[in-house]
Amino acid sequence: MVTLDERPQLIDALSALRDRVAAVRLPLPLPDAPRARQTRAELLAQLDDYLVPRLKDPDAPLLAVVGGSTGAGKSTLVNSLVGRRVSEAGVLRPTTRTPVLVCHPEDHHWFAGMRVLPQLTRVWLPQADEDHPVDEPAPEENALRVETAASLPRGLALLDAPDIDSLVVENRLLAAELICAADIWVMVTTASRYADAVPWHLLRTAKEYDATLVTVLDRVPHQVIGEVSRQYGALLDKAGLGHVPRFTIPELPESAGGGSGLLPDSAVAAFRAWLAHRAQDPAARQQAADRTASGVIDSLDTRLPELAGAVAAQYAAAVRLGGVVEAAYGEQGRRVRKELGRGAVLAGDARTRWRGYPRDSTAEELLDALAESLAALLHCAVSAAEERVRDTWRREPASEVLGPPRTGGDRETAERTGVEVRRWRRVLEELAEEEVRGVDRPSGSRASGSRGAVPEPDTVAALLAASLLGGRRARAAGERLAELLGAQSALRLRDKGGELVLSCVDRVLHAERDRRLAPLDALAVTPEPQAELIAALSVLQKEK
Amino acid sequence: MVDDEQERGRERWDDGLIARRAADKAADRSVEEAAAETPDEDFSPPALGGSYGGPLRARLDALHELVGLSRTRVESEALAEAGRVLDEAAARQRLSSRHTVIALAGATGSGKSTLFNALAGVPVSETGLRRPTTSAPIALSWSEGAAGLLDRLAVPSRLRRRPLAGGAGDTELQGLVLVDLPDHDSAVTAHRDQVDRVLGLVDAVIWVVDPEKYADAALHERYLRPLAGHAEVTFVVLNQIDRLGTEAADLVLDDLRRLLDEDGVALGEHGEPGATVLALSALTGEGVPELRELVARFVQERTAPERRLAADVDSAAARLRQAYVADGRPGLDERARDAFTDRLAVAVGAQAAGEAAERVWRRGAIRACGTPWLRLYRWYERMRAHGSTDPHLAAPAEDELTARQRVEQAVRIVADDASRGLPAPWAQAVREAAARGADGLPEALDELTVSLGDPAARPPRPAWWPAAVLAQAAMTLLQIFGALWLVAQIVGVVQPGLLPPVLVMLGGIIGGPLVEWACESAVKGPARRYGQEAERRLREAAAACGRARVLDPVAAELMRYREVREQYATVVGSRPSAAAARVVGGRRSGTGRLGATRAGARGR
Repeated sequence: MVTLDERPQLIDALSALRDRVAAVRLPLPLPDAPRARQTRAELLAQLDDYLVPRLKDPDAPLLAVVGGSTGAGKSTLVNSLVGRRVSEAGVLRPTTRTPVLVCHPEDHHWFAGMRVLPQLTRVWLPQADEDHPVDEPAPEENALRVETAASLPRGLALLDAPDIDSLVVENRLLAAELICAADIWVMVTTASRYADAVPWHLLRTAKEYDATLVTVLDRVPHQVIGEVSRQYGALLDKAGLGHVPRFTIPELPESAGGGSGLLPDSAVAAFRAWLAHRAQDPAARQQAADRTASGVIDSLDTRLPELAGAVAAQYAAAVRLGGVVEAAYGEQGRRVRKELGRGAVLAGDARTRWRGYPRDSTAEELLDALAESLAALLHCAVSAAEERVRDTWRREPASEVLGPPRTGGDRETAERTGVEVRRWRRVLEELAEEEVRGVDRPSGSRASGSRGAVPEPDTVAALLAASLLGGRRARAAGERLAELLGAQSALRLRDKGGELVLSCVDRVLHAERDRRLAPLDALAVTPEPQAELIAALSVLQKEK
Repeated sequence: MVDDEQERGRERWDDGLIARRAADKAADRSVEEAAAETPDEDFSPPALGGSYGGPLRARLDALHELVGLSRTRVESEALAEAGRVLDEAAARQRLSSRHTVIALAGATGSGKSTLFNALAGVPVSETGLRRPTTSAPIALSWSEGAAGLLDRLAVPSRLRRRPLAGGAGDTELQGLVLVDLPDHDSAVTAHRDQVDRVLGLVDAVIWVVDPEKYADAALHERYLRPLAGHAEVTFVVLNQIDRLGTEAADLVLDDLRRLLDEDGVALGEHGEPGATVLALSALTGEGVPELRELVARFVQERTAPERRLAADVDSAAARLRQAYVADGRPGLDERARDAFTDRLAVAVGAQAAGEAAERVWRRGAIRACGTPWLRLYRWYERMRAHGSTDPHLAAPAEDELTARQRVEQAVRIVADDASRGLPAPWAQAVREAAARGADGLPEALDELTVSLGDPAARPPRPAWWPAAVLAQAAMTLLQIFGALWLVAQIVGVVQPGLLPPVLVMLGGIIGGPLVEWACESAVKGPARRYGQEAERRLREAAAACGRARVLDPVAAELMRYREVREQYATVVGSRPSAAAARVVGGRRSGTGRLGATRAGARGR
């Protein structure tokens, strides 16, 4: 059992845990991501709004949050407890849009600051008097109204929350957040609602967190009060909540806004006495606060691993998505090498040029055709890889955030490939020129030069390109090259050229692969947060 | 006749264009055929539509056609809903059209059973404080012959009731079958399942809400929003107004209207078709007679089943929208086709082949007509430059003439072009058609290139060639003659006289290159034409091959999509049924206005 004496280590552990939870990012839209995001938000809300402030200031007033379905009479109940209209009640649903916190004037400083519910801005309204009810101000986003009333006992604050099943989604989220901040959960339901599904979810959650819970059965018609109350008790018993204190308030004209809008004191006296007892009796107070706090800390044991699991799932999905890309490009890389070996580049245009060389086509034309053909092969490989990625990613819901896949006719890819291939060609031509100059100098003494002709650099470059890209189809090119330059230098040239081709292929494919992976890398989904979460949890468990 | 029909049936599912155009023409006869083709789906002739009016019948037929056409393309999950609508249409149509089934639905404790009893005039359904009270649907029918309908709803016979005095008293409610449903929002989830099941089968729904729960998310998000299209067959009744003051009831009713509006539910006010909203108290009976009257009118119109089905078709169409409609204009335009042809031409090397043919032709001509001395010189040059080997390097292996990667890329690009602007399933189908066509395309192009032959191998000789060769030979002869003459003079065989032999020889020396030059310029044009002709033949052959193997299947697939798209447009109706709806609405507007005024009168 956690005691509410100040425990610096525990607070430190919780703060560390809170930072870890806040650092969790769930960028991939996996099926369980919305749930995990909600878990994260709830955890943050409970740690920020309730647990850490409560452990830091054990003497702060107890906060009782009044929650329930729309139209259950929450605001009327709060007004009646305070004895003044602090929260607007009415017949139109949903009524309360801005939550209202009521406390004793001397407790005001506890709530004026950002100690609890720091994400809600405080608003103050001029005192509403009986005949001039204040107009609801333009509903401000994330606002909390703080009211003071001397009629409340010290050490107790009441919070009127919006509906838990509101049509307005923000109201629902806000209600859940407020309930997370409560020391005492007050569930209000009515005679016609007590079997509704939504409030029961909340009751079960309260049981799961072992929070200090009290239920109010409101708006019960006089004639059936016994019967309904009994049945509700039976349902609670069945759900294992039989021990929960239960108050019944009959339906009165005031419930629907008649009269002063306040229930007569007799109707709420018992409930008020119960609350006052919690607030003023040290033992009861200690018990109420301890129970909720330790319930929340215990619930972390199951909720944090759940969040960590979601983080792990994100990482797994990221690895899977990246793996698809790697595999597709790897496969295409292997295919390009195989095609090069088979001489697939020497087909179509290039083949015709090669057949005509040197009588019907020039070295320049042959080199052009070969370079173009190589560029086409690379572009085709990139498109095939992209297609593969697209087909696989279509089945992955997480791939939505990574942008649309490129199509086969992508002009930019063609241009980038073209630039790389032209670069390769330039380097190849330079290489050939250098080699020819090398042949030139010792021409007199070399046997190969004895024929007296110095080969043209263009010719050498074209023959080299053909022998590199043509595979076995262009064996004659290699032979011719050996004849022109000598077997040794031809071999050396071919080795160098081969390296150039492969590096060109790798550069193109890697650049395109990295381009495809860039959005995924930008999300920076790493496995570390999972480990850190679990580590922070184990530190907390040691401190507990 | 049987043969004819069988054949037609086969044609209909054929992918061929012509067959399906023929099927299009026979579309007006398709109703009977649909029945003949699908004997397993128990449509009794005259099949779909049946007694429903024209527009709905046409839409149901179109939906049926749509499901048939796209069964292999669109995932079955998306089509299941459409199939269900069709089944329901057929099932409902076979049952009594004199009856209108209306369900009472609402949250627990909103007073459904109390209202049910109030309408029945007898306590039929158990009311109580125990929540939830009603756990199984209870049916109440005002006239005989509704057994089939209730069987469909799976209401057991022990829960089928008759109103007071067998219902004979309520002549205006003859034909009404009222079903009291369990709640949809209690912790007992089995009730929700029952509600969901029955709501899919009834003709109209009366939603009962109460002042406490009228804004519940469970009601609006789970039911009213998804069923917003069914507004015409929806009543929303604010019950328990006895718990509110008059003023408050008015406010709540207005707020309820606002919420319904936000849900997208059209309200039946100002004569427009839409949901009827009114306030009543089942407990005190206030407002119940009005509801009775409205329901009676509604039942006497007997259009509820049809309107419900129309709304079902609407929502099925909306759900299928993603599979049939995408922004962007699908189709292969001329530019994409031309680009594809160009790419194939590059893949078979048409341009290079043409240029090669041109050069070979020209070279041949020049060789034939050139002076022997020049030829000798060129031969020497070549020997020096390329060594003793044959300058024509060893012929490369003659397999895979076509650039595979270029063909693959061309097909990929044309498939992407064609599938742009198509919904995902159809884009996939187009890509698959293209990929199927591309299978074996390179081999076919190889064969084609081989069969066309190498234009550079045996260039034809033009008619004037012999003349040119003769002229060149004559020039050479002149040179030799002149030379011999000179030699003879030097030797002294013939009379000296320098000028004539020198002139003859000079004539030969100048004439030879002249003839060659003339031939060369004369050959330029024909050579280019020959090369272009060779290129054109290769290009066209490749284009024809590509068209037959890739473009046509892709176009067929696009055609199929267009056809389905048209069917879908019919299903959506794009309001060809608007006129009919207005007629219905017009008839109904009286009801709507009545509802509105009555509700308003109640409030004020």
